[in-house]
Amino acid sequence: MTRHLMTLAVLIGLVVLVVLGAEFAEVRLLSRIATNLCIMLVLVLGLQVFMGNSGILSFAHVGFMGIGAYTSAMLTIPVQMKGMALPDLYPVFAGLQMSPYITILIAGLVAALVAAIVSYPLMRLSDAAAVITSFALLVVLHTVMLHWSEVTNGPRTLFGIPRVTNLYLAAGAAALAIAAALAFKESRLGILLRTTRDDEVAAGALGAHVPNLRWIAFILSALFAGIGGALWGHFITSFSPKAFYLKETFVILGMLVIGGPGTVTGAVFGVLIVTIVFEGLRAIEGLVNQAQLFSEQVVGVTEITLALAMIAVLIFRPGGLVATREVGDLILRRMKLREKK
Amino acid sequence: MVGFLQFVIDVLSLGGAYALMALGLVIVYGILRLVNFAYGELIMVAGYSLYLLNGSALPWLVMAAVAVLMSMFMGIATDYVAFRPVRAKSVTAVLITSFAFSTLLQNAALLFISPRPRNIPLPDLFTTTIEIAGVVTPVRNLLTIATAVISLALFAWLMRRTVIGIAMRAAATHFTMARMLGVPANLIISSAFAISGLLAGIVALFWLGRIGSVVPGIGLEPLLVAFIATVIGGMRSLQGAVLGGFLLAFIDTGLNYTLPQDLLKFRDAFTFSLVILILLWRPEGLLKGPASGQRT
Amino acid sequence: MIKVSNLEAGYGPVRAVRGVSINVGKGELVTVLGANGAGKSSLLLTIAGALKPTGGQVHLDGIDVTGSSPERMVRRGVSMVPETRDVFPDLTVAENLRLGAYIRRSKIDIVRADLEKMYALFPRLQERVDQAAGTLSGGEQQMLVIARAMMADPKVLLLDEPSLGLAPNLVDQIFDMIVELKTTGLSILLVEQNASKALQIADRAYVLRLGEIAAEGSAAEIAEASDLHAMYLGG
Repeated sequence: MTRHLMTLAVLIGLVVLVVLGAEFAEVRLLSRIATNLCIMLVLVLGLQVFMGNSGILSFAHVGFMGIGAYTSAMLTIPVQMKGMALPDLYPVFAGLQMSPYITILIAGLVAALVAAIVSYPLMRLSDAAAVITSFALLVVLHTVMLHWSEVTNGPRTLFGIPRVTNLYLAAGAAALAIAAALAFKESRLGILLRTTRDDEVAAGALGAHVPNLRWIAFILSALFAGIGGALWGHFITSFSPKAFYLKETFVILGMLVIGGPGTVTGAVFGVLIVTIVFEGLRAIEGLVNQAQLFSEQVVGVTEITLALAMIAVLIFRPGGLVATREVGDLILRRMKLREKK
Repeated sequence: MVGFLQFVIDVLSLGGAYALMALGLVIVYGILRLVNFAYGELIMVAGYSLYLLNGSALPWLVMAAVAVLMSMFMGIATDYVAFRPVRAKSVTAVLITSFAFSTLLQNAALLFISPRPRNIPLPDLFTTTIEIAGVVTPVRNLLTIATAVISLALFAWLMRRTVIGIAMRAAATHFTMARMLGVPANLIISSAFAISGLLAGIVALFWLGRIGSVVPGIGLEPLLVAFIATVIGGMRSLQGAVLGGFLLAFIDTGLNYTLPQDLLKFRDAFTFSLVILILLWRPEGLLKGPASGQRT
Repeated sequence: MIKVSNLEAGYGPVRAVRGVSINVGKGELVTVLGANGAGKSSLLLTIAGALKPTGGQVHLDGIDVTGSSPERMVRRGVSMVPETRDVFPDLTVAENLRLGAYIRRSKIDIVRADLEKMYALFPRLQERVDQAAGTLSGGEQQMLVIARAMMADPKVLLLDEPSLGLAPNLVDQIFDMIVELKTTGLSILLVEQNASKALQIADRAYVLRLGEIAAEGSAAEIAEASDLHAMYLGG
């Protein structure tokens, strides 16, 4: 038990450090980066809940992020702006304007509900079939977002979403996400699910209903994604369906794979490391473009770096940087070793 | 009658391209049980090869041959970068590395060439139209059908009559047993990737020929098409892939002819929901592939 | 011909073969007997290169071939017929045999002559040349895998339980064919559960128990040993 509390304390401590660092530096850009980092934590931890415990790759995650973002946007865009932002909106919602703090939760629930309905039959599949269906699900969700103009304003940018997500709200959500991901991992369900990851037959023999276990994890994962998406929407305040497709999938997956999908610590570390490297590279890219060293804009360096890093990690450290043990476990072990000496 | 002929030509030319695409995905999947997410980028590579050769004095056919060769080369490179180092580790690992490799190639094109579309050289034949029995159709469509027929026949010959083809079919069922007869594992896998690249390269000529230009994200749509076609036809059956390609073309063209405009934009959502339903009903696809399914 | 010394192999933490030493002379038919799970199949798979040894050596004609890949072993003249009877079910009988000659694919004439020899030895296969191998009966499939292994023109044939699951008259046929193959000067290492049958045709025999050699000697000596049954029962 102590080791779990230790893990929780260290990881939340890291989030607090990020917040303090950003606040004291009093640089507006840093505060933005830190807020974004906390939102990414919620999203990546959401993917970790499903992928880390079930061992199955899911491409659909950012689809649920999109559902969350659009749900909260639709419910919070000020009534007087709705005519412009969402001209085709159903009349029922046209006069509706709710508090974003409530709609962020609703967004999570809607994403979870959609996940619960569409994913139930999919959880029987494994390996390639599971991955292709999740990929197909992402394409379906994306197509719907792209063309359901009543709710999403179609492929055009949706604007006018109230800005509510600040550093503290995002950090609070990240801390809760860390706690929830850890709690699920160490719960009876989480442990059973991880047994199925390693040996499906043996877990079945233990009386575990594998598809149901996966289903619960998938719903929980979509809940995280929905909340994360809504937070992101209220941070960025305008977006189009493009924001919830392969590029975003790649970044979230990259963070998780590099950090280590098997552990909550890995997910947190992955987000931190990738964010730091990304922002560094982006700054360099910006400088290069400003200096106009090349005739064309320099783009794609960050993605290339992330792709190479992912491949390298999978070759040399297949489990990610933190593969099996949580940080609390590691610290306690080291302390014990020191006592022995 | 005219409408019908038009429909048939549309289905056959689209289906030919789809079938070749699907075949290229299945030949790798059948042997390794692994999906190559970087498959669409082979089309992109062929496209940029054409773009870079644009303006050279070479005849178009030579440029096209070089483009197809580059696509084959990139297919083999995919194996070395994304598959071989992690193949033994886990299915998920390979799916992620091939996805990462796909993003890598796209962004390399973005960085080193341009995010904007680039024109590719095309022979005049591609832009002319011809009238058959009252139907006006681009010559390109007829060329696609002819190329597809020739490619499929060549492919069938390769798989049935040559030792390497027979060995590839054998490796799809009992990989280790094929090795115990002296067939080198790496040769089989590299050949599969080379054929995959060859097919993608050939399709690229016609796929890009329709658009006339190439962008970094060009590979996504063909990849999705290949996914759907293979799932419809059978993930591990070569005949199934071809059948799936033509069936998908039939469905797509049929929907194009019949669906009202505001539903048509949801076409991808329909076809992909169909993919999910088929996989649920038959995880192996409509046509069952070879009997057993051990992985290497 | 083939000399195995202190061979160790296993699956993860399970040690299936523990320090086994055997040898097979030129033209000799040696049988390895033992109960289920004694490590017989693992021994053959390790020699054939399909299972990586964790210790010991395999020598072929005095050359160290320990840990070679399966495809290398075939090229060196060691062919394996696994117990799982892996015909390629979607390939025709002719295609299966053609693949058997993969390492000699450039020597078209010799291969064709050998193919005729195999059809003479197994007439049933000739009748079913264009049939998919998956549609053959168990006995026919066994003939096919043996013939396919012979198409590589091996010096050593590793046979894993050729009689498994076959009707008694078919078992007799298969054993007759093994004897016929031996007359061509081929060295054969035969793994069998059917001890009495195997001892009738073998020159020498080893008894494997829990991954170790429990007894060895001429086929007659082993057949006479009174505790043979006890060994099988693990007593």
